[in-house]
Amino acid sequence: MDLMMTARHHGPEPSTPVLVTDRTLNLATTESVNRDLGQWEQALALVALTRDKQAYQELFGYFAPRLRAFGIKMFGNEQQALEMVQDTLLNVWQKAALFDPTRGCASTWIFTIARNVRFDMLRKKQSRKDDISADDLWADGDYPEAEDHQTQKWELWLITEKLAPHFAALPPAQRTVMEKVYLEEMSHQEVSDLLSIPLGTVKSRIRLALDRLREALDDSER
Amino acid sequence: MTQSVNHHPSISLLELYCDGSLNAEVALLVATHLDYCPHCQQLRHDIETDLGAQLASSTPASQDLHSADWLEMLNSIVATPQLPRAAAAPAQSVEQLIQIGSYQFELPRSLRRVASKRSKWLSMGGIATARLPSGEPHHASLLFIDKHTDVPLHTHQGLEMTLVLAGEMVDENGHYVPGDLIINSPDDTHKPRNISDEPCLCLSVLSAPLQFKEGLTRWLNPLQRFFY
Repeated sequence: MDLMMTARHHGPEPSTPVLVTDRTLNLATTESVNRDLGQWEQALALVALTRDKQAYQELFGYFAPRLRAFGIKMFGNEQQALEMVQDTLLNVWQKAALFDPTRGCASTWIFTIARNVRFDMLRKKQSRKDDISADDLWADGDYPEAEDHQTQKWELWLITEKLAPHFAALPPAQRTVMEKVYLEEMSHQEVSDLLSIPLGTVKSRIRLALDRLREALDDSER
Repeated sequence: MTQSVNHHPSISLLELYCDGSLNAEVALLVATHLDYCPHCQQLRHDIETDLGAQLASSTPASQDLHSADWLEMLNSIVATPQLPRAAAAPAQSVEQLIQIGSYQFELPRSLRRVASKRSKWLSMGGIATARLPSGEPHHASLLFIDKHTDVPLHTHQGLEMTLVLAGEMVDENGHYVPGDLIINSPDDTHKPRNISDEPCLCLSVLSAPLQFKEGLTRWLNPLQRFFY
């Protein structure tokens, strides 16, 4: 099915942050900001708390070209892509205080802003600006991280032959994580370290893979 | 609410919703399902995490924009004042309750703004519909089915997607409670019925994929790609 064709990259994510000492000194009030936060989560916190232009510039430098490439893929032209980049990164600057690192990664937040900006741009182009807007469709994801009980429930299933053929049909990024965890019996943290992806992304990919497997099982039993 | 949601969108449909390529009316239906369904909320979170990670790990093309242009954009952005936390949250005038005859229903979050722009109710027997703002080729509307009322047997050219908002209903294939999503393809002939003692309110989205013409962007017809 065509739908499954979305490219799934599993390249490395931004490298681990190097904490700049003089900046942390300015942030006596933000000691509570988790030290384990990634580079971009920290940058967003600095932008939100101190309007730190250098932190913003780092974010901008990293995400602007990537958003532009994303926009060109979506719009097929550079002018609209750049309009999307500007609008997205303006939102990042202005609304940094709304970013909540306990609810997800900086990259997720920035992606969803770009998605919403693009959606509203397309609606506006069709003069459909006033009916259904991105604000209606994508509530600020106030969804807590679920416990992993779902994962355990599946463990027995996963080693049965029944699932093997479906395993192979998983998107590569999800399959890699599943193989490490269930075939090589690595812990989530070990997989996170090995693939240089955040722990949350490992858990997300496992849950997505489990749901996909469940769907495949339901279909094959019908 | 004692009964939990049982009929969910497929992961493929959720993925299209998350990457923003579903048309607005179907996306509204999925968004409303999420209002009822913690399971799919978690999946949405997971898919968005994955899409964000893809964005962050992508490699931009080598022939890049001139750095002077980036600098100009950067400077214009940081010259803009930041919004205080309170002001940054959108304030909207919304409608939380909807009145139909003597009945009152609470609307899920996704529908509150859109439902306030509905057209007048058209009713026939125990059934009533009100069109929500939506355009060709998709029609979104609220569908009210009074207690002990059948919807006449029907087929349709396109897809018919129904989401139960309140009450319950049955058809040949099952029993549906709030949050349940029912998708009928053009070949299905079916007869939804409300056999309960409570009125039922649904969100209905109709599409007619066969009416898609060339020249429409691919963005408009992901459902066509999805089902054909």
